[in-house]
Amino acid sequence: MSVLEGKELRIVGFLCNWCSYGGADTAGVARATQPTDLRIIRVPCSGRVDPLFVVRALLNGADGVLVSGCHPRDCHYSSGNFYARRRLEILKQFLPVLGIDDRRFEYTWVSAAEGQRWQHVVTTFTERLHNLGPAPQLEDAAPLLKVADMVLTALRPLGTGQNTALDELKAAIVKKLPELECVIGWQQGRDAAHHVPLFIRTPDDVNKLTWGPFNVNNPAVYLPTFKGKKVGIVVKGCDARSVVELLQEHLINREDVTIFSLPCEGTLDMARVDQTLGRYTNLDKVEYDEAGVTITADGTAHRFCMADFAQGKCYGCSTPSAVLADERFGTPVQVTPGEITPPELALLDAMSLEERLSFWHGQMERCLRCYACRNACPLCVCRDYCVSDSRDPHWMTQEDTPREKLFFQAIHALHLAGRCTGCGECQRACPVGIPILALRQQIARAVGQLFHGYAAGMNPEEVPPLLGYEVVEENIQERDWK
Amino acid sequence: MASKTSSSSTDLQTRQISKPATDISMRHTLSPRPMMPGNPYLPMPATVTEIIPETANIKTLRVVLEDDERMRDFKFQPGQVGQISVFGVGEATFVINSPPSQKAYLQFSVMRAGEVTAAIHKLSPGDKVGVRAPLGNHFPWQEWKGKSLFLVGGGIGMAPIRTIMLHLLEQKGDYGKISLLYGARSPRDMAYAYEMPAWLDNPDLDATFCIDQPFDGWSHKVGLIPNILLELKPNPQNCVAVLCGPPIMIKFTVQALEKLGFPPESIVTTLEKRMKCGIGICGRCNIGGRYVCVDGPVFTWKQLQELPPEI
Amino acid sequence: MSTIRFVTGDGLPAFLTFLARNGRRVLVPVEKPAVKSSTVFETWSEGKPFSLQKATVPAKSAVLPQCETLIRYKKSKNPDNPSEVSLNLDDTPEATPTVVFACRPCDARGYAVLDRPFLHGPYADPYYRARREALTVITLTCSKGCDTCFCHWTGGGPSSPEGSDVLMTAVDDGYVLQAITTAGKELLNASSLPDGAERFPLAEEARKRAWASLAPAPDLKDVPQKVASRFSDMPFWLHWTERCLSCGACTYFCPTCYCFTITDEGEAMSARGGRRLRSWDNCMSALFTREASGHNPRLSKAQRMRNRVSHKYATYPENWGTFSCSGCGRCIGNCPVGLDIREIVLACVRHSSDIAQETQER
Repeated sequence: MSVLEGKELRIVGFLCNWCSYGGADTAGVARATQPTDLRIIRVPCSGRVDPLFVVRALLNGADGVLVSGCHPRDCHYSSGNFYARRRLEILKQFLPVLGIDDRRFEYTWVSAAEGQRWQHVVTTFTERLHNLGPAPQLEDAAPLLKVADMVLTALRPLGTGQNTALDELKAAIVKKLPELECVIGWQQGRDAAHHVPLFIRTPDDVNKLTWGPFNVNNPAVYLPTFKGKKVGIVVKGCDARSVVELLQEHLINREDVTIFSLPCEGTLDMARVDQTLGRYTNLDKVEYDEAGVTITADGTAHRFCMADFAQGKCYGCSTPSAVLADERFGTPVQVTPGEITPPELALLDAMSLEERLSFWHGQMERCLRCYACRNACPLCVCRDYCVSDSRDPHWMTQEDTPREKLFFQAIHALHLAGRCTGCGECQRACPVGIPILALRQQIARAVGQLFHGYAAGMNPEEVPPLLGYEVVEENIQERDWK
Repeated sequence: MASKTSSSSTDLQTRQISKPATDISMRHTLSPRPMMPGNPYLPMPATVTEIIPETANIKTLRVVLEDDERMRDFKFQPGQVGQISVFGVGEATFVINSPPSQKAYLQFSVMRAGEVTAAIHKLSPGDKVGVRAPLGNHFPWQEWKGKSLFLVGGGIGMAPIRTIMLHLLEQKGDYGKISLLYGARSPRDMAYAYEMPAWLDNPDLDATFCIDQPFDGWSHKVGLIPNILLELKPNPQNCVAVLCGPPIMIKFTVQALEKLGFPPESIVTTLEKRMKCGIGICGRCNIGGRYVCVDGPVFTWKQLQELPPEI
Repeated sequence: MSTIRFVTGDGLPAFLTFLARNGRRVLVPVEKPAVKSSTVFETWSEGKPFSLQKATVPAKSAVLPQCETLIRYKKSKNPDNPSEVSLNLDDTPEATPTVVFACRPCDARGYAVLDRPFLHGPYADPYYRARREALTVITLTCSKGCDTCFCHWTGGGPSSPEGSDVLMTAVDDGYVLQAITTAGKELLNASSLPDGAERFPLAEEARKRAWASLAPAPDLKDVPQKVASRFSDMPFWLHWTERCLSCGACTYFCPTCYCFTITDEGEAMSARGGRRLRSWDNCMSALFTREASGHNPRLSKAQRMRNRVSHKYATYPENWGTFSCSGCGRCIGNCPVGLDIREIVLACVRHSSDIAQETQER
C-alpha cells in the first residue's frame, strides 16, 4: 500500500469513546492493516470536539485532522453528534478562508462494530493527505499584502441622512427618558468629523444626539452591561440586528430595552476618510449634502461622497431600517433585492489557498493583540473571562507569533459562528487595519448556505443554528468515503 | 513639568544629554533592606526538602538553595517575601516565614488558590523550584526596641506573623511584652497547629488562639478576632500592633485597635497584591505611586491612609 | 557646536546601508497597505521601501518587545546517575545593536520615560538595559502638529531632543541631521555624509514653523496634584469611562506604557524545557490585577482608567518628576470609541468648585 511507504505525516484523530474508538479497536483486533500516521485522541463524544481543537492542531503543524463519532441517531448522549455535524461542517467551510485546504480535515461516523469501515476511512484519509503532502505552514508563507477593492455599488441609496426625523426621535427620547436608566446613542467626539457613543441621562443630553454617516459605533455593545435595567438604544439597521441577536440568545431582556430607530443611509469608512484627510491641526467645518459630506481641515476642503466612502458592510446592507424597533421614525430606505459579496471577503475569494496563508501571515504580523476587535464586538459577551486570557485551559500562549494571533481570530470567528451579524466593529476597531471581518463573513455565508438562508439577528424568536440541529440535515451531505 | 506654549519657547537650544542620564533618581527612597543580587528576574534554583501539610488547603514547604554558597550567605529580614517558581506554570509571591536565624532552609506556607499555588501543592521533596528572594521591605523591628508588641494573625496571615514573632522572641530582652492573637475559622484551618503548644508554653509569649465557631474539644477562645481583641484589651501605651490576614479581618481589626487607642502609626500590617515582576516595574501591585512589591508589603496604617483608597 | 550633517532624500537608502553595517539592526517605518493602512517599524534591508510617516505603532519594541524570553529553563539528568536531576536556567538577554530611524520626538521621549523605572528604579532591568545601551535613536522632527497630537502639553514638542541621539529635520532639498548625544555625534562622524552646518538655519526655521502650527497648550503645572485629588471622585471616573471598551488599544500603542506580564510557556520541567516570557500587558484588562482569590482591586473599567490616567499624570510624576505621557495622541486616534485622555486631564484640572456642579449635572 502506497501510504505505508515514505515519511509519515502528522494526522490527529479525535475519536468518540463509544463508537469510533471501539471501531478502531475492532479493526485492530481483526488485524486490519492500516497506515500508522494517525495519532488518536479519545474524546467522550464527537460533540466534545470543539472546532478550535482542529484549528489549533492544523495551525500548530498537523497535516490533517480526522474527527469520528457515532452514526447519527446512535449517539450515546442522544444528540452530541447532531451538534457536532453542524459545527464541523461550518468548520470545514471556514478553513479555506484561513488558507488551509479543507481536504486536510474530515469528519465521519464509524460505529464500534465497523472495523472494516474504520480501516477504509483511515486508509482513504491518509492516502488523501499523502497526495496533498505535508501541510504548508503559516510561518513559512511569504507575507503578502493586498488591499480590498472598495469600488462597489450599493443595494440601496446611500446618503447622509440629514433630512431624517431626528427632532421627532429626540422628542420621543425626552418623553421616554424618565422610565429609563439611559439611552445610548452618538455624540460629537473630538471634532465634528468624529462621533462617539453617547449615554443620554438628562433631557439636556438629548441635544447632544447626532445622526448621520459619522455614527459608526455599534451601541449594542453596551447593552449586556445594563442587563436588568431599563435602557434605551438608538439604532442603525445593523445595530438593530445585534440587539436582536442578543435577544435571541437571552443575553438581554426584551422588556428592558426600548429601541429607537431611524432609517440608516450608510456610515462612512473612517479609515479611508482619516487617511484622505491626513494629519490636520484644525478641523474647520463639516458640511452635509444629500450624497456626501465636505470636511474642511486646515483650510482644505475634502469631499466624501457616500457612494465612494461608505463602510464595506453598507453596500451589501439589506436592513437599513431596524428589523425590530419600539419607536420608529423617518421614511424607510428602499432596498433593491440582490446580493453583494462584502469587499473583504471578495478579496479573499479571489486568492488561492497559498495566497491566503501568505495574506494572513502578512496581516497578522502587525497585530499587537490589543483585543480591540474582541471588546468592540457586541456579541463577545464573555468579557472579562475570555479563553484567550485563560491559563487553564491554556488555549493561547503569550508568544507574539502570527500563528497565535491568527488563532485568536479563529477563536473569535468560530465563537461567533451563526451569531455574527456582520456589524464590522471588530475590523473598524482594529488600529492597524487588519481585514479580520472576512473570517466572520465567510462563516456567515456558510451558515446562510447550509441553513436555508439563515442570517443572524433578524428575528428574536429564531434559534441560532449552532444551538440546534435537524435529525436529517438537508444541506449537509454525508461523505461516502468511496 | 514646564508646559510650553508655541509662542513662548522652543526647544531649539539643544542640550548635550548624557545617556543614560546619571542624575535621574526616584523622588522617594526605599528603606535599606537585603536585596537579591544579580539579574532580579533570574530565580535561584532550589530543592524542596520538606512538605508539611498544614490544613486542607495550606501546605508549608521548606526549600534549600542549590548553590551552597548562596544558601550560606542568604540574608533577609523578617517580613520580606520571595517569589517561588514552578517552571512551566509560573511564579507567585509568599512571605519567608522562617526566622532569619534559620540558616538551614527557607520556609514558605502556601494556600491553594490559583494555578501556581495548585502546582506548588503538587510538589514533593526533591523537586526543583526557583526562588527569587529576598524581595520587598520588612518589619521595622529595630524601631520597635523597648516597646511591647501585639501580634495578630488571621488564617494564612499567620505566616508573616510567625517569622516576626520568632525573630522577636530570639531577642526578647530588647522588647516589652510580646503577645500573640492567632485566629482561624476552625481548628482544622489552623496552620502551625503543631507549634501552638510550644507557643503557649513559652514564658516570653502571651499567646491567645481563637476560632470563629464553637468546636468540639476546642479549649481556647471562640469569636472573631476583632471581638477577642476588644476582650483582651491590649494597652496601646508604647505598644505596636502587627496584624496580617484577609482584608476583611484587617478592616475590622484596625477599627478595634483604633477603638482601643492605638494610633495609626503604631498599627502595622502587610498587603497582598497580584505581582509579576516583584521589582516595582510591571504595574500591577501599585496603590497610587507606591508598589507593594518594593515599598511594601509592610505598611503602617498611617502610610496606608495617605495612599489612594485602592486596596 | 554640535555635529551637523546633511543628506538628500535620494541619499537616505545609502545612509541606511551605512547604519546597517556591522550587523546593526535598523528599524524603519514601513507602510502596510490595507483599506486602513498602518505604518510599523520593521528591520530594514537593502532595497526595502520605507516611509517617513509617523508610525501607527511606536518604536517601543526596540527596547521593550511585545514578547521576549527572560529565561530558558530545562531539566537535565546526570547520565551516570539518572536520579540526580539539575535545573538549567539561561537568562542571556537578546540585544542586537539597533538604530531606530525616523521615529518622532514623541516616540523618542517615550524611551526617556521608560528609562526611569527600568534603569533608575530600585532594580535595573538587565534585559531593557542591554537593549537600551545598544540603541541609537535618529528622530525625524515633525513639520506640523496634528489634531490628536499634544506633545507640547507634556513638556515635549515637534523638535524635542529628549531621548534622541540625532535629530533629523526636513529642509527643502533633504534632511539636516544634528547630533544630540555623544553616541549620535560618533555615528554621524563615522558616516560619509557632508557637513550640514550651513543648512542648519533652514532646519531651525522649519522647527519654528512646526512650533507655530501648534495650538497653545493649557497650563498643566498643577496637574499631578489635581489628578490625585480626583482619585476618590468615583462619579467622575464613571462618567469619563462610560464608553470605554476595556481593550488595549490605548496602552499597546503608547510609547510610554510599560506594564508587562511574565508567563511560562512550553513544556514544564523536561529535557526539552520551556521559556519564561515577558510580554506587554494591559492595565485596562480586568485580568491584570485579578488575584487568585478572585479579589480584584481594579474591578471596574472606571478604576482601571483612573489608574491609567493617575499613573501618567500623578503617580509617575510623583516618583520621577515628569509625566509618563509624551503626547503622541495614539491613544486618542486608535481608541475605537474615541476616548480622549486630554479631556479627562483637563476635566481634572478644572477648578474644584466645578466638581460639585458637574456632579450635580450628571
